[in-house]
Amino acid sequence: MTNKHTILSALKQSALDQHAMPAMDVVANNDDLVGQFNASLNTVAGTLHSEGGLAALQQAVDELIQQNMQVISLLDGIKGNRQVPETAHDLADIDYAVIPGELGVAENGAIWVNQPSHRVTPFICENLILALAKDNIVANMHQAVKQVALQPGELGLFIAGPSKTADIEQALVVGAHGACSLNVYLY
Amino acid sequence: MTELYTASGSKVHAHKADIFCRDETRVDWHSKALWALREKRDRAAGSLPEWEQLRLLGSQLKLHTLSHLAQYLEQFEQQCLSNGIKVHWASDAQQHNEIVHGILAKHKVKKLVKSKSMLTEECHMNPYLERHGIEVVDTDLGERIIQLANMPPSHIVVPAIHMKKEEVGELFHQQLGTKAGESDPLYLTRAARAHLREKFLTADAAMTGVNMAIADQGAIVVCTNEGNADMGANLPKLQLHSMGIDKVVPDMDSVGVLLRTLARNATGQPITTYSSFYRGPQEGGEMHVIIVDNGRTEMMKDKILAESLKCIRCGGCLNTCPVYRRSGGYSYNYTIPGPIGIAVGAKHDDTNSIPWACTLCGSCTYVCPTMVPLDKIIAHHRRLKAEAKRLPYGKGGYMPLVGRFMANETLMNTSMSAARLALRVLPGSLLKPFSGAWGKYRELPVAPESSFASWYNKNRSR
Repeated sequence: MTNKHTILSALKQSALDQHAMPAMDVVANNDDLVGQFNASLNTVAGTLHSEGGLAALQQAVDELIQQNMQVISLLDGIKGNRQVPETAHDLADIDYAVIPGELGVAENGAIWVNQPSHRVTPFICENLILALAKDNIVANMHQAVKQVALQPGELGLFIAGPSKTADIEQALVVGAHGACSLNVYLY
Repeated sequence: MTELYTASGSKVHAHKADIFCRDETRVDWHSKALWALREKRDRAAGSLPEWEQLRLLGSQLKLHTLSHLAQYLEQFEQQCLSNGIKVHWASDAQQHNEIVHGILAKHKVKKLVKSKSMLTEECHMNPYLERHGIEVVDTDLGERIIQLANMPPSHIVVPAIHMKKEEVGELFHQQLGTKAGESDPLYLTRAARAHLREKFLTADAAMTGVNMAIADQGAIVVCTNEGNADMGANLPKLQLHSMGIDKVVPDMDSVGVLLRTLARNATGQPITTYSSFYRGPQEGGEMHVIIVDNGRTEMMKDKILAESLKCIRCGGCLNTCPVYRRSGGYSYNYTIPGPIGIAVGAKHDDTNSIPWACTLCGSCTYVCPTMVPLDKIIAHHRRLKAEAKRLPYGKGGYMPLVGRFMANETLMNTSMSAARLALRVLPGSLLKPFSGAWGKYRELPVAPESSFASWYNKNRSR
């Protein structure tokens, strides 16, 4: 008998009664989604730029490039100064990565990102910039998981703020292994 | 305190707690650090009017999954296979470690970067792989600290909670070459970032635990704040993920519920920084999922113990537990400490003492995001130990006598009136030794005027 069959047949002796799947009808707070999202993003140490849209983002990127920063953009219409390299490891010196966000979640400031070219891009960059359409903010996670497109074979993820840790005496330090800052541009 | 050892040399919970309690200032500091997490959790939970509804949904969806576990595990496997994920099954820790080593050996892996996984701790995988010549680098900051210090985790979410920043500073000075005497958390964290970045960039393979496995998607969800799991999994071409059979959930809706409560209940955050859904390997890469039983199906055979498999490992029960906060993570004789550690580890505890590391106050059950009835499970473990004739602390000897004594009304009443008289007339110094460990940090009670029975007869009985 394979391990799989041993485990599955052991489960036949489970003492648990049958339980039905519950109905998930949780009331959503749909008031001022952008305002809620902004407050949540602040809580998770991210910064929201709600004025100026993608033009403001391109201007910010241009300024970064003038400061000799290495900027890669995976967002159509925004130009950085670095191309997507052959191997993921060559992203190690990227200062800023601009990546499209698909969906924002008002209750926790999380933004869904579909698999970027080189999956490691949003994690390995020193700083992360996400762009998000104002109309693509939902109230809570129940709505979010229904709307995100997680394609077979791919990686998709919610990002809520820059990487952080409190593993030394519970002192919050922003910038652990992933990005050290997160700026979100609404358009 | 009497030192109680087992044949294998382990010591009972009370003895280990006694060692931890020798430094009273540190115990207070430890307790307050954990209570701060509990307070953050309360604020996060209180901010959602639907919190109790979410707890109930979490409990119900987990019970539903567990009661259809074989079906969901098979569905998960099928979906994984169609997404190009390789699936392995392990009945116990040994098989798990052999499977992992087999995959790594096939790819000639020399360096493995690992993110937090209590399951690999449970399986003692690191020492196994190290014996086979593979360097295992824990990459969560807390995990890396305790790995460098050669200690096991003392908490399931904040593994180095017992260490002071000065101790971490000294450790990093010796092992990573940071400045002597430097203990600023920002400085130390940046030093660890640089040290581990080099490990990520040179690793041959990555391994993570699994927070949830989504049956109908064939995807796994990994939650971290530091980004270490994703830095690992997305650089080398080989990624491994170990999961207990209890990690599977039916669908995305279930994930939506649990992602709302997991981080809020753990640290008071609305969600972890990264919640990554892996539904297949990267281009040109390989992704393996190892599904592990290791005693879980055995727990399913007991209706009460089975409910401990609803746990999503948020650590909330540890933070609230008055015993854990004051006895530390190393007093439990099991990899997982605290209330959930007792629930899933009592059967492995050869001192048979950890079910008594509990006041049965029920605070753990009250904060649990999936309503695991922890106090009920712990009381049940005491019964199981008694039935197996494995009571600790001499309880096996005196508890039957106490039982007979308390069942005999005349004997009980006579003795209690003698005790009341003794408390009134004899000096405390003479009586205190009879109170045993109970009296160590307590004063003897003031004797009441009469027994409850006679008070009741006089005042209420008509």
